[in-house]
Amino acid sequence: MVQAMLDRELKKGSAELLILSLVAHEPRHGYELSKLIDSRSNGAIRFHVASLYPLLYRLEKRGWIEGRWVEKANQRRRRYYRLTAEGRRVLAAQRRNWREFVEAIARITGVQHA
Amino acid sequence: MPDPQEPDRIDWRAEITTRLASLRLTPEQETDLADELAQHADDRFQELRARGASDADARRTVMTELDDEDGLAARLAGIVRRGAPRGPSLGVSTSGTIAGQVPQDVRYALRAMRRSPGFTAGVILTLALGIGAATTIFSVVNGVLLAPLPYRDPGQLVAFWGTSPEKQLPRVDFPPGLFVSVREKSRAFASMTAFEGAGFTLTGVGDPVRIDAATVSLDFFTVFGTTPLLGRTFIAGEDTPDDNRVTVLGYGLWQRRFGGDSSVLGRSITLNGMPSTVIGVMPPDFAVPIRAELWVPLRLDPAAFNCWCLSMIGRVKPGLDTEDAARDLRMTLDDFGLQRRDVFPDAKRGGSRVVATPLVREIAGDVRAPLLVLLVAVSVLLLIACANIANLLLSRAAGRGREMAVRCCLGASPQRIATQLLTESALLAAAGAALGVVLAFAAVRLVRRLPQIEIPRVQDIRVDPVVLAFAVGVTAISALLFGLAPALRAARVDLQTNLKDGARGSSAAGTRRLSDAFVVVQFALSLVLLAGAGLLIKSLGKLVAIDPGFRAEHMLVARMQPPYARYGSDTVVRSFYERVVERTSAIPGVRAVGLTQRAPLTRGNPQDNVIAEGHEPRPGEPIVVSNVRYITPGYFAAMGTPVLQGRSFTASDGPSSPHVAVVDETFARRFWPDGNAVGKRIAHEGDTSSTRWLTVVGVVPNVRHASLGEPLNLQVYEPYAQRTPWTMYLIIRAALPPQTLLASVRAQVASIDPEIPLYEARTMEEAVSRSLATRRLTNTLLTSFAIAAFVLAAIGIYGVISISVAGRKREFGVRLALGAQPGNVLRLVMRQGTWLALTGIAIGMLGATWVVRFLRGLLYGVSAFDVPTFLGATVLLAVVAIAACLIPARRATRVAPVVVLRE
Repeated sequence: MVQAMLDRELKKGSAELLILSLVAHEPRHGYELSKLIDSRSNGAIRFHVASLYPLLYRLEKRGWIEGRWVEKANQRRRRYYRLTAEGRRVLAAQRRNWREFVEAIARITGVQHA
Repeated sequence: MPDPQEPDRIDWRAEITTRLASLRLTPEQETDLADELAQHADDRFQELRARGASDADARRTVMTELDDEDGLAARLAGIVRRGAPRGPSLGVSTSGTIAGQVPQDVRYALRAMRRSPGFTAGVILTLALGIGAATTIFSVVNGVLLAPLPYRDPGQLVAFWGTSPEKQLPRVDFPPGLFVSVREKSRAFASMTAFEGAGFTLTGVGDPVRIDAATVSLDFFTVFGTTPLLGRTFIAGEDTPDDNRVTVLGYGLWQRRFGGDSSVLGRSITLNGMPSTVIGVMPPDFAVPIRAELWVPLRLDPAAFNCWCLSMIGRVKPGLDTEDAARDLRMTLDDFGLQRRDVFPDAKRGGSRVVATPLVREIAGDVRAPLLVLLVAVSVLLLIACANIANLLLSRAAGRGREMAVRCCLGASPQRIATQLLTESALLAAAGAALGVVLAFAAVRLVRRLPQIEIPRVQDIRVDPVVLAFAVGVTAISALLFGLAPALRAARVDLQTNLKDGARGSSAAGTRRLSDAFVVVQFALSLVLLAGAGLLIKSLGKLVAIDPGFRAEHMLVARMQPPYARYGSDTVVRSFYERVVERTSAIPGVRAVGLTQRAPLTRGNPQDNVIAEGHEPRPGEPIVVSNVRYITPGYFAAMGTPVLQGRSFTASDGPSSPHVAVVDETFARRFWPDGNAVGKRIAHEGDTSSTRWLTVVGVVPNVRHASLGEPLNLQVYEPYAQRTPWTMYLIIRAALPPQTLLASVRAQVASIDPEIPLYEARTMEEAVSRSLATRRLTNTLLTSFAIAAFVLAAIGIYGVISISVAGRKREFGVRLALGAQPGNVLRLVMRQGTWLALTGIAIGMLGATWVVRFLRGLLYGVSAFDVPTFLGATVLLAVVAIAACLIPARRATRVAPVVVLRE
């Protein structure tokens, strides 16, 4: 129970940073994003439909990412998201914050970087 | 539900769509969202299957993930905005532009209107009546007062005349000598023409017929810049002393009598027994003076100062206006007066009085004032209607508070909601206007056919582009007036209150204050209209109650004019008149017959300077102007005018008998206040040589000649045998309904001379009623506007109090539960309503005292600040207000405490 709560809070705090980082270099669609988060975190963090898309739309509404429909032959159309200029600035700031936060935690708890 | 046995066929879109239903997305948004999410769900499903999960397990997992985290809809609610057509792709939305919004707003507004058809119909109907009435009145105003006259540069045309307030003569026409001099000396005018209204009997073309005509100076048509349709107009030298040798025909006459035949040019016709050659035909819209259908040249004798009878129209030089023209005329007249003391004995520099007015206004004449009053009244009515609709919309907006709050929560901006509500108002206004214009078309047709009223330029009254533009403008203003307040209120929506209270329809304090203000405005405006209508009704009542000095019932009037050419001398004409009186008196049913050169309530009122012996004016004093009528001995009997003192004329008052006169009470009292007028002597100015003194033999009551409401004039009657007019009104007092006698009267006159037609035949009752027709119509319209206004005001206050009562139900319940008597609650509600009404009435009273001054010209025998009328209007409105409040107030007393408190 406590574990689940902690998970949720951590996820909330980091979710924006995760998405922005993942679309920083190339446009990705929603399913791809959820797969990447799942695999790169070794299943520790998971985003499903109900949590991922509201987050994407919120980021898009803020103008940090931008969605585009892309149609390919013999495939259903997919919506790809990419970072906007504004998003790039936010991402840099969030990365700095996160790094400082993690370092602070590390100094207190003695947990070291791998 | 998809069948779990057929995993490939799982309809993820349907699953998603169902979950998004509560968001009320646009179809486009829904498609985009569903596409994207269904794709994801499908990918996820395939992934799970690939990892070895069974169809059913994979499906169950995806479903769980869809409903994870409070569910999709809840998480999307604050993010996805309704009204963004491209779904979540807000970055490239077109929804921000007005153009993108309009069709959507219109669709939404139409839906809202359909949801409450009663409300919609009520609003549209109210607006249609208001806009229809305003458009109709404006089309009359436009046609009669505003539309340019059909002449070249009509703005340069100015009518002018002299005026003599000290002699109570508002309008003095010029004699030929004066006109010729003014035309020569004036510097402000490019050209100038003089004319005199006339009537001609046209014989030889069908039955003898009387034609309204004018004798005009040679350059008459040139001044208007109108060229004839056929032939030519007058040229120099055609104003010969031999009368009327050439004639220009009006279009209507040419069509009626000559079949529109162009070979009419050069044809000889007979006017008043004299031959005349047709030289031209004017186009259909040429009508100066009004009703004239035939023009003959006027001979202007520069030495003639005997007949002050010429009307004048000038064309001012470009760049000058009416004021310049008047100034120039005054100077010219001053110069003339100082040189010609024989004509103007009391002339002095700056002493000339001239009225110069744009021709278009002169033609509108007496209908100008009532038209402007009606235009103001109908605008006020429209304002009241707008206030009413604004209140309806406000109360409805209050009822829709929750809808607005929800839309705000879903991301609608306040401006967006305001625009949406304004769109609804605009649609309502447009629908009302469309219906109103249809009504106006019908009403204008009606106006053009009003039987009893002679509206000048009636042919110009139509719903034309100018009128339509007016309707559009009025509609736009109305929509803003009634739509703006509710829209602005709604935009300041208080989310919390509305989400909590919205369903109960309680209105915020601001809205209530606004509604109250509208009710106050309605009552104020209604009072103005009611007071105005009241004053006019009272005026009409006074006019109808006037004793005109004659008895109009059982009286027939008709006019005739013996042709000078054939009759040649007064003696012959007199014998014709004698035979007419003799033959018509013998008709069964005829009680008395009289002749006069001007019957009451006909156009024209012959006047002369008259001097009473012993009261001769000192040098420099104005000479008294009196109406002068020449009558036959039977005249007073035929008119039903009693002789108060002395005697009437008899057959023995012949051409060679001593000269006699009868005067009216006003004349008698003015010179002989002791009541001994009989036996005194009077004379026309210039006739004071001993032979032309007239001895007063009788006194009669005042008779209203020009109009029922005219101020009392001095009146002198003389026997026709001693001065014989060449045109006479035949006046017949009948024992039978007078119109039944007309045919036999015509026959008798024709038996004496078949070439003398009777014209202007009517009963005196008709003449009286026609003289009041414009006033009656103005009253009827103004009264109906006033009634409509106070009905609207009543509905308005009823609505506001009803809504207030509904909102305070709980309060009343508590009060009643705590022991308040129904009477207390009743008083509480009534106090609110009466306060609103009385505030409105008080403001209206102030407004009315300012507005009624514009009515002054239309009032008769009533002060513009008539206290009983104002009091009556106040009481009427107060009673209406109380009655309208009583219904909701009683509803408040019947609130069942238990029921309300449980709600």
